Amino acid sequence: MSVYSFYIFDRHTECIYSKRFTAANNTQSSRGSTLQNGDVPASLRKASKDLDETKLIFGTIFSLRRMAKQLGGADDQFLSYRTGEYKLHYFETPTQLKFVMLTDPRVGNMRTVLHQIWATLFVEYVVKSPLAPAEHTGGKGVANELFEGGLERFMVSMGLLPR
Amino acid sequence: MPSMVGPPPDVPPKEPPYTAILPAKPFHSRLHSPSSRKTIYDRNLNRTQTTPTSLPSFAYLFNTLITYHHSKSGSVSEIETRLNRAGYPIGIKLLDLLLYRQARAAVRPTRIIDLLQFVHTTLWRALFGRAADALEQGVSNKNEYMIFDNEPVVNTYLSVPKEMSQLNCAAFVAGILEGVCDAAGFGMEGVTAHWASASGGTGGAEGEGNKEEEMWPGKTIFLLRFGEVAMRREEAFKAGGG
Amino acid sequence: MASSKAARMGEEVWKTRTEKINLEVLTLTYGTLVSQLTHDLRDPATNIPDYAAINTELDRMGHSIGLRLIEDFLAKTSSAGPAPCNNFRETAEMIAKVGFKIFLNVTPRVENWDKEGRSFGLVFEEMPVSEFVELPDDGRAQEELWFLNLFCGVVKGALEMVQMQVKAEWVSDVLRGDDTTEMRVTLIRYIEDEMPPDDE
Repeated sequence: MSVYSFYIFDRHTECIYSKRFTAANNTQSSRGSTLQNGDVPASLRKASKDLDETKLIFGTIFSLRRMAKQLGGADDQFLSYRTGEYKLHYFETPTQLKFVMLTDPRVGNMRTVLHQIWATLFVEYVVKSPLAPAEHTGGKGVANELFEGGLERFMVSMGLLPR
Repeated sequence: MPSMVGPPPDVPPKEPPYTAILPAKPFHSRLHSPSSRKTIYDRNLNRTQTTPTSLPSFAYLFNTLITYHHSKSGSVSEIETRLNRAGYPIGIKLLDLLLYRQARAAVRPTRIIDLLQFVHTTLWRALFGRAADALEQGVSNKNEYMIFDNEPVVNTYLSVPKEMSQLNCAAFVAGILEGVCDAAGFGMEGVTAHWASASGGTGGAEGEGNKEEEMWPGKTIFLLRFGEVAMRREEAFKAGGG
Repeated sequence: MASSKAARMGEEVWKTRTEKINLEVLTLTYGTLVSQLTHDLRDPATNIPDYAAINTELDRMGHSIGLRLIEDFLAKTSSAGPAPCNNFRETAEMIAKVGFKIFLNVTPRVENWDKEGRSFGLVFEEMPVSEFVELPDDGRAQEELWFLNLFCGVVKGALEMVQMQVKAEWVSDVLRGDDTTEMRVTLIRYIEDEMPPDDE
């Protein structure tokens, strides 16, 4: 099982956290880094070169989200979609925080995983941190040590990252 | 200035050397109070003695206090000083309140050891529902005592960034302690809060740290430094066979 | 959501999923904060506390708490998936019976709805934070200071995060000598989803 990347968008449509995981050499890099050669699908690698990847992802979920509501009613949310190369998992909180994870296409339902990242990591370590701003313009205050460490431990414990 | 005969005309006359004391009037409050008489004078002072409220709510409020003082401070030690000052008046008031609530007669502690017991047990129970974890005398200085809390409640949700790892927001509690001790007449040199482990409250126990540290990454030492007056009085008590 | 269901939910979260601390610690800390502001925010000419500025600052602080607290609230109450309120009346019930219950252990009454159902009053029989409080007898504090103004900010901040822009203000407070303590909450608008900026 492997995870390619993880993003959080806020209600102002801004990407406040992003992390890419490259399984091959087991190094991870936060925000603003370039992709390294891992098993990240070629299509994504190409996309990141041509376009700002986070923008593309936001555009995709924004449209899918609207489509889901139009077809399934106002309370409907899409959970994931899959291509031959990857699977995109989506979870949105009532406060319109959007958690997005790109994984190997064989990975199962990740909704509870994303919910837990929100409820136990984001709320505890980012929301409750007094020295982080209440709104994270430019991603400020999200990538703190406790959150980064907690996220990594959690992903390892879920078998999503190699130990 | 010998040439001067009188004050120049544009200088206002000196204030009289005394201020007349107005005839004392009985205290008369100008405050309005509700017809239901829901004022502090109509409530039992012990009413909320054991009432619980939400710890997260306290944390949000405490965070607000920290953020406020952080925004006005230039350094970690200034934040701590400001938090200490914020807690201080609470301590002054708490001494009276806690003595009043004591089952036995409300006598304030006069000996250092009595005061330390009072802080370690009575004050801690009132604030945090349990006694502090340990009490020790300082090794190098006779006027120093330490109270240990393995897991200060006020730091429950605090994550301090690495560049500020020395910051211990329990300085607020230290201020409460200082207020209590000062109000009891011990003229403190100061009460400060310190992390017990070198890595601070981040719990970043790397390598083989000692077990105690790993179990209580947030362990905090409150250092109470007694003033000279208190120390001399203590000596006098001892000399008097007390 | 029916009113009784909200009440049960509030009880349940308060009893089983809320860590506790002695109320007096909260009360005294809130007092210390307001008293700090009365020192820091003074009219330089007269050296009298600028109560209007203090109200504003408390409101701003509360707003920032509200933005955070709502995440905590939702994470605590929505383990079975978030259940959005269907209308503003449900929102009012949630604020009174769940929100105030789990964060202050009080349950204000929801009263005084306007005809359009866009504005209601939260009437507090008890306000624990005011327990040890008497406003200064300076002839102005009782006219100008809303001691509890932080809580208006909390309500505004929290609702803003769930796409509701509201006005929240105190209309009476026993600390001012009024017979009731009432916060008025008025819906201004539902906030639309923000659109991503257009690509060039």
